[in-house]
Amino acid sequence: MPALTLDRLEKHYPGPTAHTAAKSVSLSVHDGEFISLLGPSGCGKTTVLRMVAGLIEPTGGRILVDGRDITALPTNKRNIGLVFQSYALFPHMSVFENVAFGLRRQGVQGHELKRRVDQALADVRLSALGDRMPRQLSGGQQQRVAVARSIAPRPSILLFDEPLSNLDASLRDEMQIELKRLQREVGITTLFVTHDQGEAMSMSDRVCVLAHGVVQQFDTPEAIYHRPATGFVASFIGRPNRLAGRVARTPSGGAGVQLDDGPVLAASGADGLAPGSPVDVVIRQEDICFGETPSSHAHALSGRVAMRSFVGARVQYLLSFDGIELLAEAATNGPHAGLSVDAPARVSIDPRHVYVTPAAPAGVRAAP
Amino acid sequence: MTARKANGALLASPLLLLLLLAFVAPVLLMVPLSLHPYEPGTGISSAWTLSNYTSIVTDEYYREVVVRTLVLGFGVTLICLLMGYPLACYIATAGPKMRLALTMLVIFPMLLNLVVRSFGWIALLANRGLVNNLLIDMGLIERPIKMMFNLFGLLVGMSHIFLPFMVLMLVPAIQAISKDVQAAAYTLAASRLRVFWSVTLPMSAPGILSGSILVFVLTISALVTPRMLGGPTYKVMATLIYDDFLQTLDWPAGAAMSFTLTLLTLAVIGLSSRVLKRWGGHA
Amino acid sequence: MNLENRKMPLLAATAIAVVVFLQVPVLVVMLAAFSRTAYLTIPPKGLTLHWFDVVLRDPEYLSAAWTSVWLAGASTAAALVLGLVGAYAIHRRMVPGAAALTSLFMAPLILPSVVLGVALLQYYTITGLRGSSFGLWIAHVVITAPYVVRASLSSLAAVDESLEDAARVLGADGLTSFRLVTLPLVKPGLVAGGLFAFITSLDNVPVSVFLLSASQTTLPVKIFTSVEQGVDPSVAAVSTLLIVATGVALLLAERWTGFHKHV
Repeated sequence: MPALTLDRLEKHYPGPTAHTAAKSVSLSVHDGEFISLLGPSGCGKTTVLRMVAGLIEPTGGRILVDGRDITALPTNKRNIGLVFQSYALFPHMSVFENVAFGLRRQGVQGHELKRRVDQALADVRLSALGDRMPRQLSGGQQQRVAVARSIAPRPSILLFDEPLSNLDASLRDEMQIELKRLQREVGITTLFVTHDQGEAMSMSDRVCVLAHGVVQQFDTPEAIYHRPATGFVASFIGRPNRLAGRVARTPSGGAGVQLDDGPVLAASGADGLAPGSPVDVVIRQEDICFGETPSSHAHALSGRVAMRSFVGARVQYLLSFDGIELLAEAATNGPHAGLSVDAPARVSIDPRHVYVTPAAPAGVRAAP
Repeated sequence: MTARKANGALLASPLLLLLLLAFVAPVLLMVPLSLHPYEPGTGISSAWTLSNYTSIVTDEYYREVVVRTLVLGFGVTLICLLMGYPLACYIATAGPKMRLALTMLVIFPMLLNLVVRSFGWIALLANRGLVNNLLIDMGLIERPIKMMFNLFGLLVGMSHIFLPFMVLMLVPAIQAISKDVQAAAYTLAASRLRVFWSVTLPMSAPGILSGSILVFVLTISALVTPRMLGGPTYKVMATLIYDDFLQTLDWPAGAAMSFTLTLLTLAVIGLSSRVLKRWGGHA
Repeated sequence: MNLENRKMPLLAATAIAVVVFLQVPVLVVMLAAFSRTAYLTIPPKGLTLHWFDVVLRDPEYLSAAWTSVWLAGASTAAALVLGLVGAYAIHRRMVPGAAALTSLFMAPLILPSVVLGVALLQYYTITGLRGSSFGLWIAHVVITAPYVVRASLSSLAAVDESLEDAARVLGADGLTSFRLVTLPLVKPGLVAGGLFAFITSLDNVPVSVFLLSASQTTLPVKIFTSVEQGVDPSVAAVSTLLIVATGVALLLAERWTGFHKHV
């Protein structure tokens, strides 16, 4: 019995600005799993989350928790926790009262109430701050109070709506680990909405990638990275180069693509597509390997360095080949970090890392 | 969502009902009243006539009252602008403590009973009022100057009453003018006066218009101050309505004058919001 | 460059002069209240508390004052309930035509008071409510509710929408989340609105003057009509008492809620 099932969930807004925010979204989440809803803004991930919480009414589909259909159940009866992007702490109540709020609604009082609140604050490592007011806390602390408030009533599902996007980078990394650890300890089934792929991949058991309200892929982080199911996923995950081209045969007769204004590349993803048909091609920066590789399936490109940027842990190059330009990277401490501008560059790209999808019809673009 | 809509109806309907029954209905019921003729001695007949409205235009006395009301409106608005704009500028650029103190000093008279304030002006402007007594004591005049029961008294008194409204509308408008824009003008070697004339003043135009409309509408609708400072003989539209309903009992005429006043008010407000909308892009 | 520090002294002088001008009638009234003579001079020809004595003993003045206060209180209370609740329905988009409804709720502010006064006079004459306390109360709720609606709408707009959502997720139903979360946060704005409503009712003449009966009058109407009969310093004394009361109320309100931000 899955802990949470979304069955063809749909949200359509009618009227002059009609659009479908979520289209036939189906997911099955196991008990204790950490699932991310990942996608660019406007992809529908927050809409799906708010439908699960009961704050938005679906126009189609069902939501089942532990097998029970809760689609028609009002928000306050769903026993679901939600951590808001803005934390939504009650400004006129102390930290203690904020955390106690859900418990009080459940009828918990007195000693038991205090014990549960203290426990929740201890879980997020904020034990001493019960008497403070939200405005006296830092952003990170407010965030933890929001989490404590959500888990104190022991909900069956925990939802996060981009909770870390208001924190600065170093704090965000720290909180990612904290939240993951907490989720493991408490064991609540969790749905986490984010637009940051690094966040989604590092924290989740499985990731659901959404675009334009449609589920693109729902799988483990490794599967999504190595075997992107659609052109959107290929260009949204990792650091992509996006090109256009047509299906063609390589000089040795294998599957490949003729890049517009550029060379022919071996691409195993082109296998089976009609020759000459237009395709979108994605090559990740991290998949471009400097130097020769011994693999006989690889395809090599020769060109020169057009630009070089030092990013810290890696060096980013803009390489120019025979009519096209590609972004590539090399580890700062590795052998290829020292190429200067106008130096010759020889790279090879495994054909399995040349992701090919039939060209999107006009109006439906891949990830920006 | 029907529970939500039902709750919404429940929450909004008491006030809606109150306004429909005690605001919309009474006003609508005055329409037929204004279309009946009034015969002194017999009362309101059940015939229909437009004479109550036409006489406002054709009758010299009514015309005079309407014109006087409008002149008063423009005059008071202008005076309030001339006095209020400098004060508003000062408040808008003052430090927080000064701003609070000045704002309180502007709000305080506004909260005071209108009757009290009008009475204060009577005490000042009457023939045996403070100003006349002072001028006579100082030997500047021999006989009291007539400052009440005429346009002067009303202009002065009403400007005072409505000045706070003008100031309170102007201050946020002036504050909203980005300091950066003014600073930019200075760096382009404009003089203080030039900056004021070509930057500050135009950019506060929406505030000037809003304040002016408010003061104008309040002035032409006013009853208490014109009655107290103008007396029973020097009438404006509102005091004429008052007399029609309570003294001469010519309710139809009063009703017709009421609608005329209302239409004037709505026309002014409507016109100005059109203009404001057009200026919205420039602000 | 700090523009504020280079204010022209002329501007400052003009501003101060205008502020002084604003206070003058108020000061004059207070002067008249203490002055022994029935006409005013500067300096006054003698000071006395006699007129205050006259006023405070006069049962008509006291009854008028009482009527004004209970009327203002009762209408403000009703306006607060109806206005807040109506504003909430508009704010949470629980009703269609929010814009039209808001316009209707604010309409009494636009209609000249005198027109409303005479319209109600006719209406109450037809419905038999003329001269009744009930009719007077209803009329005052109509003129005070818009201030509450306006203050409520702006206060509600300032409250983070996700707060009520958060309360619901945590198990609170609509009424509870309003009571525990929204209401405490809109209180300052409500106090400001309520104060405006109270003062509007207390001060009102153009509506009240048409609806009072022979036996009942409000303080401002009494002052209004007695001035027509001739100026007498007891009017000044009543006025001074009102001035003092208003000043105290203003200071208290500012102390409690800092309401000058909501004006």
